[in-house]
Amino acid sequence: MKMLIGFEVHQQLNTDRKMYCDSPTNYQDVPPNTNVCPICTGMPGSKPMPPNERAVNAAIEIALLFGCRVITDELIYIQRKHYDYPDLPSGYQRTSLPIGINGELQGVRIREVHMEEDPGQYDPTLGTVDYNRSGVPLVEIVTEPDMHSPEEARKFLRQLVRVLEYSGKVRPEAGGAMRTDTNISLEGGGRVEVKNINSVKGAYRAIKFEIIRQKSKLERGESVTRETRAFLESQKITVSMRVKELEEDYRYIPDPDIFPLIIDKARVEAIRASMVEPPYLREQRLVKQYGIESTAASVIVSERELADLFEAVAKEIDPKLAATWFRTKLKKVLNYMKLRAADVKFTPEHIVDLLQMVDDCEITPEQGELILRQLVKHPNDPRKILQELGLDRIKPEELRAAINGVVSANPDAVRDYQAGREEALHFLAGKVMKLTHGRADARKIIELLRTKIMGEK
Amino acid sequence: MGEVTKAKLEAIRNLDLSAVENIQRALENLSKLNPRINAFIGPNPDAIAQAEAIDKKLNRGEQVGKLAGLAIGIKSNINVKGLRATCASKTLEDYVSTYDAEVIKRILNEDGIIIGMTNMDEFACGSSGETSAFGATDNPAASGYIPGGSSSGSAAATSAGISDLCLGSDTGGSIRNPASHCGVVGVKPTYGLVPRQGLIDLAMSLDQIGPFAPDVYGAALLLEVIGGFNPNECVMLDVREVSYVDKLKEDLRGMRIGTSQKFRELTDPRIMKIIDSAIEKLQDLGAEIINVELPHLEKGLPSYYLIMSVEFFSATRKFDGRKYGKRIEDVCGDEVLRRILRGRYISRKEYRGKYYQRALQVRTIIREELMAALKKVDVIVGPTVPKLPHKLGTSLTPMEMYAYDYLTIPANLAGVCGGVIKAGELGGIPVGLQVQGKVLGDGEMLRVLHAYEVNA
Repeated sequence: MKMLIGFEVHQQLNTDRKMYCDSPTNYQDVPPNTNVCPICTGMPGSKPMPPNERAVNAAIEIALLFGCRVITDELIYIQRKHYDYPDLPSGYQRTSLPIGINGELQGVRIREVHMEEDPGQYDPTLGTVDYNRSGVPLVEIVTEPDMHSPEEARKFLRQLVRVLEYSGKVRPEAGGAMRTDTNISLEGGGRVEVKNINSVKGAYRAIKFEIIRQKSKLERGESVTRETRAFLESQKITVSMRVKELEEDYRYIPDPDIFPLIIDKARVEAIRASMVEPPYLREQRLVKQYGIESTAASVIVSERELADLFEAVAKEIDPKLAATWFRTKLKKVLNYMKLRAADVKFTPEHIVDLLQMVDDCEITPEQGELILRQLVKHPNDPRKILQELGLDRIKPEELRAAINGVVSANPDAVRDYQAGREEALHFLAGKVMKLTHGRADARKIIELLRTKIMGEK
Repeated sequence: MGEVTKAKLEAIRNLDLSAVENIQRALENLSKLNPRINAFIGPNPDAIAQAEAIDKKLNRGEQVGKLAGLAIGIKSNINVKGLRATCASKTLEDYVSTYDAEVIKRILNEDGIIIGMTNMDEFACGSSGETSAFGATDNPAASGYIPGGSSSGSAAATSAGISDLCLGSDTGGSIRNPASHCGVVGVKPTYGLVPRQGLIDLAMSLDQIGPFAPDVYGAALLLEVIGGFNPNECVMLDVREVSYVDKLKEDLRGMRIGTSQKFRELTDPRIMKIIDSAIEKLQDLGAEIINVELPHLEKGLPSYYLIMSVEFFSATRKFDGRKYGKRIEDVCGDEVLRRILRGRYISRKEYRGKYYQRALQVRTIIREELMAALKKVDVIVGPTVPKLPHKLGTSLTPMEMYAYDYLTIPANLAGVCGGVIKAGELGGIPVGLQVQGKVLGDGEMLRVLHAYEVNA
């Protein structure tokens, strides 16, 4: 069955000040209603201050990252969108006309990028409103309905979040700061909009639920009416909010208290010149520039800081070796320790030294991984870590002694191997490794064991 | 004529009159006259203390501000920290301002003393001063008649001599109309000259705060204090220096003054007679009188009432009953409700093209027309209100009430300045001459008013 899926994604911009006043934006760190002023609480008579320039620049950069055409030398009106809700101090939300239009990401067309302001936070149980969040700048990204399965939608949304994180212009606590609405329509049914989704996972679940719901309705011969539904995260279902006939009329008017924005070309070009390279372009470039596999490149660009680290390392050492290490060992260690690349403290030089040691067969890859683990915890010169861990390469006589010991302590296994059972040799090698605390190269152990048992050939 | 404010300032500065004496006298007048004229809603309990502080400065020979010791009344839609900005509505009857409007900061900075909050038409919706939830205001210059509106209390307080100066706000004539009926000087400045931060909205694209004074000098002085750029709001003109007082002259040589036949078509002939002789006077003072075309002038009225209602609907959404106790639609008077409902109706998505957009188009036509006329001349003079004020309590239809605004609305739609001075009386009722100036032609406009005042 043919289906069309689109998104409207809202994300907070990480400016220090709110959109139309000087109140700080760290609303989560302070007691309720302390980051407020007459403007963001909509006190009678208060007027907005001129729009936060940094927020506008951030929105321009995000529009560029999604390949949008930024609207230049035209009036971009800030509109009032009227609706009645306790968290909205003035009874309307300010929302700009598009800053950028006609972009694209992963084959999905981006219809527009515009700016909004966050409302306060209403607690229906207590009946209280905290205006600390009121007026925090938001960017909204609207896609065309170009996705055709929940999996495709999830993949796109992940990529979109990655681009936003990459920009460094959105609030880092992406989980709470991202809000998305999604629209889903099946062939033969009306378009259904689902609101109140707070994560990529939530979006996936909401879409899956909707498809099943709409499909079974259509199969029963019922019609799917055009409506707005809300996603209930806890129950993983959607419920009807309002049908089309009752759709709210927001009575948009240009806000008479704000001059429309005019973005000149020079401003856009200045932002373009200094903006971050989006991950999808960076992935392509890494493959081309360093001759690495695209699977590795894709992992490397998953975090901006990881990719930065890679590029610093790849300048000093074989990029292919580095790519393999980044894709497998480093990513594994970070995942295991639940760390992001942005959190690590070691330097590119540390990694370069470590890989050089592996490349020179000074240490084994296994030892390298042990050092890497330590490097993440306590950044230091890899050689020092090697010594601290007692991992410096074993002396030949020590290794030979260990082999002799293992061979004489395990006569059964030796006999098995002599009888042609190859796995017995691996068993013995494991014993040697344990005895030597992994300081010897596995291939060397195997070789020595074989010689010892079968005699020189 | 025209020396009242200057004389008062000099007396205070020369220690012939203390600020405390001036404020006490104002407050005595207030308590004596207010029961009859109802110009004030709430006096400022701190006024005497503020006056004492200024006297101290004066007695020590310290530098004092331009408004030192003057008693100033503030329209109840302007925030003064600690006082009630009720907008003369039950909606905000318990709202105590938490901050000073930018104009208030500037007045206090120049040592002006706020003696209280003045009465007004509810949310500035009215042209008669009768829609206040705190009762109508009487006209001190013509008792029993309306004082005009919506800045009814500020005009009446100035006319009765309770306050030395007052602030009002003008969206479609709300300063000029009551100034005309009460026989005082009232100025609507160029849109964007005076900060609106702290002014409770009627219609944001039209509202402008301005002064009332017994003389042109007072109005020019107060405008000088409150005017000029404020970085903390968006819609302002980039004007850093404002000075008007030193540009007031006694003659009008070299000035080109326009007037229009259109005014005559719309105005009571008895009023026009007074205006005609005022224009002759201006000619005597050296001005060249030039006829200008304003063919669409009267179309400003319907355009205004649509645009204003949409903006007012938007502005009043915050009065939803959650923060201020009362939902506006539940407690407001008929005229406020009429405007909210009209705004709600015509801002509907399906009607945008039909009403709001067309009203904006008409606004553009009126603006271009007025701008074109003001290219040919320095100012345009004519009547302020096309008809005489009615007796308090007379029942008028909304259209009859709106008809007071024909001649004042175009200046708001175009964003130009306009000032009013008494030109004569008809049966004891003052009639005001309106002088409209270019964008930021406030100085020229004041100069014409002043020359007329000195020579009338």
